[in-house]
Amino acid sequence: MMGRYIKYEIKGSYKFILGVLALVLILITGIFAYSINVDEGSVLGGMFVGLSTLVIFGTLLTTFLYIVGSFRKELYEDRGYLTFTLPLTGNKILGAKLIVAIIWFILLGIVIAGYNILMVMIFTPIKLNISEFFSMIRGMNIPYREIIAFAIAVIISGVSTLILIYFSMALGRVTLRNKKIGGFWFVIFLVLSGLISYVQIKIIQLLPYYIDLNTFKIISYDMFNKGFASFSVIQFNDAALLTSNGDTTILNIGGFLYNILIVVITFLGTGHLIENKIDL
Amino acid sequence: MYYMINTLGQQVNGGENMDFNDNLPIYIQIMNLIKGKIVSGEIGKGDKLPSVREFSKKLKVNPNTVQRTYQELEREGLVFTQRGMGTFVTEDKEVIKKFKKGMATNIVNNFLIEMKKLGFTPSEIMDIISEWIEKEERE
Amino acid sequence: MDREGGAGMKNIVEIKNLTKNYFNKRALDSLNLNIQEGKVVGILGPNGSGKTTLIKILTGLLRQSKGEVFIDGHNIGVHTKSVVSYLPDRNFLYNWMNIEDACDFYKDFYSDFDEKKFEELLDFMKLEKNMKVTSLSKGMHEKLNLSLVLSRNAKLYILDEPIAGVDPVARDQILDAIINNYNEKSSMIITTHLVRDMENIFDDVVFLKDGEIILQGNAESLREQKGKQIDDLYKEIFSV
Repeated sequence: MMGRYIKYEIKGSYKFILGVLALVLILITGIFAYSINVDEGSVLGGMFVGLSTLVIFGTLLTTFLYIVGSFRKELYEDRGYLTFTLPLTGNKILGAKLIVAIIWFILLGIVIAGYNILMVMIFTPIKLNISEFFSMIRGMNIPYREIIAFAIAVIISGVSTLILIYFSMALGRVTLRNKKIGGFWFVIFLVLSGLISYVQIKIIQLLPYYIDLNTFKIISYDMFNKGFASFSVIQFNDAALLTSNGDTTILNIGGFLYNILIVVITFLGTGHLIENKIDL
Repeated sequence: MYYMINTLGQQVNGGENMDFNDNLPIYIQIMNLIKGKIVSGEIGKGDKLPSVREFSKKLKVNPNTVQRTYQELEREGLVFTQRGMGTFVTEDKEVIKKFKKGMATNIVNNFLIEMKKLGFTPSEIMDIISEWIEKEERE
Repeated sequence: MDREGGAGMKNIVEIKNLTKNYFNKRALDSLNLNIQEGKVVGILGPNGSGKTTLIKILTGLLRQSKGEVFIDGHNIGVHTKSVVSYLPDRNFLYNWMNIEDACDFYKDFYSDFDEKKFEELLDFMKLEKNMKVTSLSKGMHEKLNLSLVLSRNAKLYILDEPIAGVDPVARDQILDAIINNYNEKSSMIITTHLVRDMENIFDDVVFLKDGEIILQGNAESLREQKGKQIDDLYKEIFSV
């Protein structure tokens, strides 16, 4: 059932996403084409590049609000009469919205990043053939573990942000009932994220125990900094969830568990709100 | 068959929705409609009545109402139901005749009450009626 | 509420002491109502009488403040939503859909959806599958939504003001579709303030005024008792 709902969510938004992609890719092409032929500061070319960059950012922001707003529409528009009378639990509706949002963000990210790399390869004067490129990458000492760790951290924080946005929207709907105040959810969102971050910092400082992502050993912050402080230029940030000093990356255990807990609570909370609290 | 549904429906109100305006339950109004047609011979004895569903569609009334109409007509002996076949007008001439007479009695009764209210004596009423009938026959 | 049905008739809906408060306003006040299998029940009352509030509670769009509601023996939730076919008083289909998408959607989410019946109804309503939802007029919307709702073999149909604001031709088509698709095993709840047009299809009627039931009963018995049609009774009660 949730899979079917995902299908209709995608059906309802794919045209918009494809349109956005087309627009952004065209603008990127333009930027690359101009900046490669830039002869001593052509004013028009510079303006074009600047404007295009602005448009790209604007479009991406609009897209973000569009994707996230699909949840809000259910709460305020007539379509909610269809969605919320389907034989689906609140969690499934929320889960479907979340999965589709993640799919779109990943798709947008991969396509735009991939297209940029392609553009670089096409427009750079030094022609690089693919096998050389890959052997070059292989030759580099890429810290895969760190990259994966950061990628996971980014995804988790992205997902938790999304859920917190949905939670704020649902909470805004419940508290204000039928009054529609644009952006009220954003105020709730800011307050909640502030609160959540504050508690996270406190937890990390109270429980300074980390996992070393290279050795998977549990170590305390003091131990870590005492041992390495003399060698490393960059100090570990004592309030960060995931932190690195250049050659070692550590993850705060308490903070990490707290983050997971917040994700679970806000998800179930939103599901509960839309199933049991919202009066349409 | 089809014809009859149409006449039954149309008779009511020129083929449009039936307007049930009397202050009577709908099932009684439908009963009166069917009785009138049986007594006048428009629906012959032994004829099949439309099915409940068809008739309710035609009249735009709840099927349960038509069902009740048929039940009441059956109780009065004007129609009978054959399992799996439908509802039919009674074959019994006597029953129909008795009904016809009963309806006539009602009409005459009401007429007399009204006339008396207006102050006519029975002999004056007789005169008016014979005059009227003679006039009708001449035309 | 209807003694003529006799014992043994199953209640598809049971409402006990149902109360709904909005901040300071009481929208429904200790409602008690049972609806039997196979009955068509008219909920009658002017705007603001609590009709829509009642229906939204039955469909799970609103939560009661007090009291209990059971449909098919269950509290309102996923099960009741799967056996209730609901026609809201607004255009609830997604804007990007055309009629075919809406059909697929219903087929995917409701196992009791009968596609063949839907196609017959579309034909009857003179609608085409390739029409966009956003291009439909008010009357066409109502006809499409009703076609979707009636094409389900649901245990309970809930129709909120199905003929409000549509032209007489569409109104007749809608009434026909409702009567044609009536079946003995399912029940219907229909709200309306256009009593004249709809009263003949009700088994039972419930008069709602300021969130309270002020009169309820079998429509025919009420006609008999009061010596008037339901519409006249409605006008008398609400003095319109």
